[in-house]
Amino acid sequence: MNPAIPESRAAAGTGPPAADAAPAGAALVLALVGSGGDGVALLGDIVLRLAAQQGLYGIMVQSYGPQIRGGESACVIRIAREEIHYEGESSDLLLCFRTRDLERFQGAVRLHDRSVVILEAADPRPVPEWLGPSQRPVCRFPFATMVDGAEVEGDPKNMMGLALICRALGWPHALARQAIEKRFARKPQHLARNLAALERGFAAPDVPALPRLEGHGVPLHIESGNEAVARGAIDAGLRFFAGYPITPSSEVMETLIDELPPAGGRVVQAEDEIAALGMVLGASFGGVAAMTATSGPGLSLMTEMMGLSSMAEIPAVIVDCQRAGPATGMPSRTEQSDLNHALYAGHGDFPRAVLGVFDAAHARDVMFKAFHLAESYQLPVLVLSDAYIAQRRSVRDATIDNRARPARLAWQAGHGPARFQLEGEHVVSPFRVPGTPGGQYLAAGIEHTPQGHPTADTATHQRMNAKRFLKLEAMARETGDWYRTLGRPDAPRGIIAWGSQYGMLREWVEIHPEYRAFLPEILAPFPLAALAAWRRGLAWTAVVELSYQGQLHRYLSSLTDLAGVHAVTRSGGVPLTHGELARLLGQADGRPLQPRSAT
Amino acid sequence: MKPKDYRSELEPVWCSGCGDYGVLKGLTQALADREVSPDKLAVISGIGCSSRLAGYTRSYSFNSIHGRALPIATGLKLARPELTTVVVGGDGDGFSIGLGHLPHAVRRNVPLTYAVLDNGVYGLTKGQASPTTEIEFKRDRGLAGPDERPLNPVLLVLSSGAGFVARTHAGNLPHLRAMFREALAYPGFAFVHVLAGCVTYQTPDYAETIYQRCDLLPESHDPTDFSRAVEVARGARFALGILYRRPPDRPPAVVAAELAGEAGVWPPIGATSASAFPGED
Repeated sequence: MNPAIPESRAAAGTGPPAADAAPAGAALVLALVGSGGDGVALLGDIVLRLAAQQGLYGIMVQSYGPQIRGGESACVIRIAREEIHYEGESSDLLLCFRTRDLERFQGAVRLHDRSVVILEAADPRPVPEWLGPSQRPVCRFPFATMVDGAEVEGDPKNMMGLALICRALGWPHALARQAIEKRFARKPQHLARNLAALERGFAAPDVPALPRLEGHGVPLHIESGNEAVARGAIDAGLRFFAGYPITPSSEVMETLIDELPPAGGRVVQAEDEIAALGMVLGASFGGVAAMTATSGPGLSLMTEMMGLSSMAEIPAVIVDCQRAGPATGMPSRTEQSDLNHALYAGHGDFPRAVLGVFDAAHARDVMFKAFHLAESYQLPVLVLSDAYIAQRRSVRDATIDNRARPARLAWQAGHGPARFQLEGEHVVSPFRVPGTPGGQYLAAGIEHTPQGHPTADTATHQRMNAKRFLKLEAMARETGDWYRTLGRPDAPRGIIAWGSQYGMLREWVEIHPEYRAFLPEILAPFPLAALAAWRRGLAWTAVVELSYQGQLHRYLSSLTDLAGVHAVTRSGGVPLTHGELARLLGQADGRPLQPRSAT
Repeated sequence: MKPKDYRSELEPVWCSGCGDYGVLKGLTQALADREVSPDKLAVISGIGCSSRLAGYTRSYSFNSIHGRALPIATGLKLARPELTTVVVGGDGDGFSIGLGHLPHAVRRNVPLTYAVLDNGVYGLTKGQASPTTEIEFKRDRGLAGPDERPLNPVLLVLSSGAGFVARTHAGNLPHLRAMFREALAYPGFAFVHVLAGCVTYQTPDYAETIYQRCDLLPESHDPTDFSRAVEVARGARFALGILYRRPPDRPPAVVAAELAGEAGVWPPIGATSASAFPGED
């Protein structure tokens, strides 16, 4: 089931159990678990950076308790010789500073029979049974400083852990030293004790070894989904951002605070999400490409303004990093339950586009497409990411985007129709950028004539609605191939999914060749013709998603005949793993073909 | 440019005798006085009778949604600083649904001229009480909130740290024109409180009564004296004129350092000499 297991098992089975070179497709999963103060996040960060530095690909997901600071935290890192899109499932190495901290990650951390387990020497607890069996002896190391049987503050455990991990992986001692020297360059007072802790780890008598992963030697880049969204937006021409802090999207704004001004843009932290989208519309009314980023509660506040964007035909890109809702929900946990909101929210009839992000690498491309649609069609474009991919960091190749930036069709004096007049081949009417001589007009949330004059005339309202919705028809023609398929085209079993399910499914279809998958990049307008073509020859199909109601299943049911298509769905929280997917697909085989009813 | 060059082809739908006509006139006169290019003029409004004014100007205008004119104008001005950006709206739009944006617009000090046409009533929705409706009127008409006292918008923006605070009324065209002229020239956020009458939902003599309660600020008034501005704003009658104008060559952060304790401005680090309790040090 888990791609990490057969690969590492295969490596272990073909030669001596340790230190042999792994095959090209090999990957290793490291799970690091600790409590506040153990520095697990920093340890994970350094391990991922060391991997990238050696030309190894990787993915890192972090999990925290509900506390703002302290409490249990876990970090799962998967490293590989080829680019990977999924962090895997059971761990090749588990490093845990306190066995009881493992309890909170039950189900999220698992072992296989060749796993290396490193635990605290002073911790008498055995390895919990739910972790699964490893046939290798547990490595116990004295991380904690003990005085009279009680733990006191001592040398940094995470640096000892770093040494043990480097030894298990066969990574050079000097590389780890350099990483610590770089990390503490501005805090020389902490450098000595961190280096000393590292040396203690390297001096440990015996550390079990893992199959060796040889890097390509060329340093690679590390990026989170949120960083990729921010940078993709800059590359696509973003010059104005307004946002309000909210988990799990805040890193979009934080990245832009650093990186947008050097690109000639501005960032404003607004007083709330209503103001954030208001500022975006103001900037875009001024002819400047603009966006905001938020999560569910913020999107709810922006809803009225989304309608204004569509009504006044002002481009806006709105990124929603979905989290488990409703209301406050579970802010740091992932879910795919804002789909209904993105598709339908707002009073009145208005056109919009909705895009879904697969992962950090895809985010770059999606942001370009989002700005292209917003600027070309003069309407709100929603980009749905989620907590899982927003904060997951991955190692990948450098991105070079040479595409021309999306541009708005601009009105010039003497040319073109009234601001909201649709003429000839124009699907949109030319945008009148303030400052253009003679182009003055009234933009309005109130219904208006093609000239922009307020009206309450029934026939005009119908005509203007038709004018605005015509954009979606043109857009659907352009975006008909905005989707990805995975697996063999003749596989008999099909999975329809979207967004962050991409990475997990990409490996799923490799392990289970009887499956293929269809994932739309654009959810509205949905690439229906492509879906219909892809469904040909399928004996069995399921829609896989993370929402209680099965929002994608319901949405597709409204667009096309889904008779016989299973809804494989649950509420958000932790992402779906291969193990759980196998169980859910198995259940679906034997149960009625309806999504769980919300009514 | 003449004042009429700033008027669009749209005819106002305001009631005959509405104070908003005077405001439109005074604003276009001031724009002509300042020789603002209509190509580089943006007028942003929310929703309400007075928000219709945006459409009556020849400008890049935006009659947006209720209460949100300030954020929209802020985004526009930050993205296109070369545009002269005027924000208009009513007391319901600005002081009720949109009030949350006001102190932040003040704090950001983005150069906008924000005119609130305050007639103390919701006109478009036909006569409900606004945050500036007086208690007696609410009691007489049986309106909601007869025990809720009205807001003092001028004191509110002063306490938020506004650099330019003026008041005028719709019945005094030369004064209206002068206040707009000064506000348009202020290189920061400029707030103009315009008292106006509603001929339909206020008493017939409302405008006249309000105007009778106004006094022009004396020539001796020093608009850089913040404490005096607060005193005037708290007075029983409506003071007309520029109550407060912070010297614009000093950015707010510097002013904060100089005027430790100016209401609405966070006491600067090092402001240890002034007591937290004036009069007790």
